Amino acid sequence: MNCEELRDQYELYAIGVAEEPERSEIRAHLNRGCEVCMAGMKRAREVTAIFGSAAPPNAVPSPRLRRRLLASVGVEQKGFGWAPILGLALALSLFAVVYFYGRQTTALQEMALLKNQLRTQTIDLARLNEAFAIVNGGDTTVSSFGNGPKGKIFTSKSQGVLLIASNLPPAPSGKAYEMWVIPKGGKPIPAGMFQSEQNGTAMHIQRGAVDPNADLVAVTMEDEAGAPQPTSQPLFAASVRSLLP
Amino acid sequence: MTLIPILLAIHTVADDTELVARMQRRDPHALAELYDRYGRLVYSLILRVVRDTGIAEDLVQESFLRIWNRVAGFDAQRGSLGPWLLAVARNRAIDYLRSAGGRDRNALEFDEHGHPALYGDMEKDILTADKARRVKTAIEKLSPNQRQVIELAYFEGLSQTEMAERMGQPLGTVKTWVRTALKNLRDELGAAVTA
Repeated sequence: MNCEELRDQYELYAIGVAEEPERSEIRAHLNRGCEVCMAGMKRAREVTAIFGSAAPPNAVPSPRLRRRLLASVGVEQKGFGWAPILGLALALSLFAVVYFYGRQTTALQEMALLKNQLRTQTIDLARLNEAFAIVNGGDTTVSSFGNGPKGKIFTSKSQGVLLIASNLPPAPSGKAYEMWVIPKGGKPIPAGMFQSEQNGTAMHIQRGAVDPNADLVAVTMEDEAGAPQPTSQPLFAASVRSLLP
Repeated sequence: MTLIPILLAIHTVADDTELVARMQRRDPHALAELYDRYGRLVYSLILRVVRDTGIAEDLVQESFLRIWNRVAGFDAQRGSLGPWLLAVARNRAIDYLRSAGGRDRNALEFDEHGHPALYGDMEKDILTADKARRVKTAIEKLSPNQRQVIELAYFEGLSQTEMAERMGQPLGTVKTWVRTALKNLRDELGAAVTA
């Protein structure tokens, strides 16, 4: 089909209801950089972007969501669920320091150290909570991999994927590990970036529903920004037991 | 539909350039600002699709982290984050809805929505007050059936065949409604986005 014949299909494609063969035709035009179709698709996406911003406004996410999001990228947050307990421990520790040593300088140093520990523990607790949710999922399956990097992959159709690995070499500068969920006969689905610890271990969590046709979980080395599709051979992979009910 | 979520974002889009630069330098506080600007808008859109607050919050987190992980490929001089973020959010929500419902996923279109470069040429002020008014006008001008098919496609990810089954209408009739609705929106909003 030529561009003129596809002209009325751009909005259908952008909103996700284009049908065959027009859908494949537009895809082919876009893949080969067709300027007419690229321009048409740009206008169609602008229309759908505006339309999508008109959702009902009366929904407000919980404050916990903001804390959870920022904890996942390492931002210290106040008011996390465990923070009051840890904060109490921090206060008691500080009191003990001041009481027994009576030296303000030492107390401040201790406070800084404890604050740092609190931040680290808060982040770790958030991640552990997510990991436990997957491990304890009623539909969770476990797969192992070895030879070089080794470890286990926990896959829950409803909760997500948990990767625990060791013997991972550090990623080169500008690079990171990227996990993929590969459906049987389908394209790899990006499942998040991660780095290994200094001791070669890593725990990576991809929350959310897993494709029920998932067949493999694999890890490749990609640019730090991530890649939409793997650009290198998997460093390791594990088969996922059927998630179909 | 109302204009409030659009208006929430209107006064923020102009500053996206500096925000994108900070995110590209991996400043995590920039992600906090991005969330403060668009979090409620994204949450509203996703909740409209999945209708479950817990799932919606999970998907909001995934959407923002997807932007965080892919922002290196975004050209802040040529576009704002809002439209891209909304597309990623809708992608994640529809993807979840179709997976949970055992329906096929339109992986092609949704995968492409994850690419920042496709939003690089989009206008920075796409969500202005004037354009927001045109959105409201355009949507109000649609007939109830036209509005319903667009909402079923946009917020529920239904194919035209699925819409026909849901509405108990012939497929040809639904296709006509979809095409007419999109043409009307194109005429109204096309003028808005190029004005």
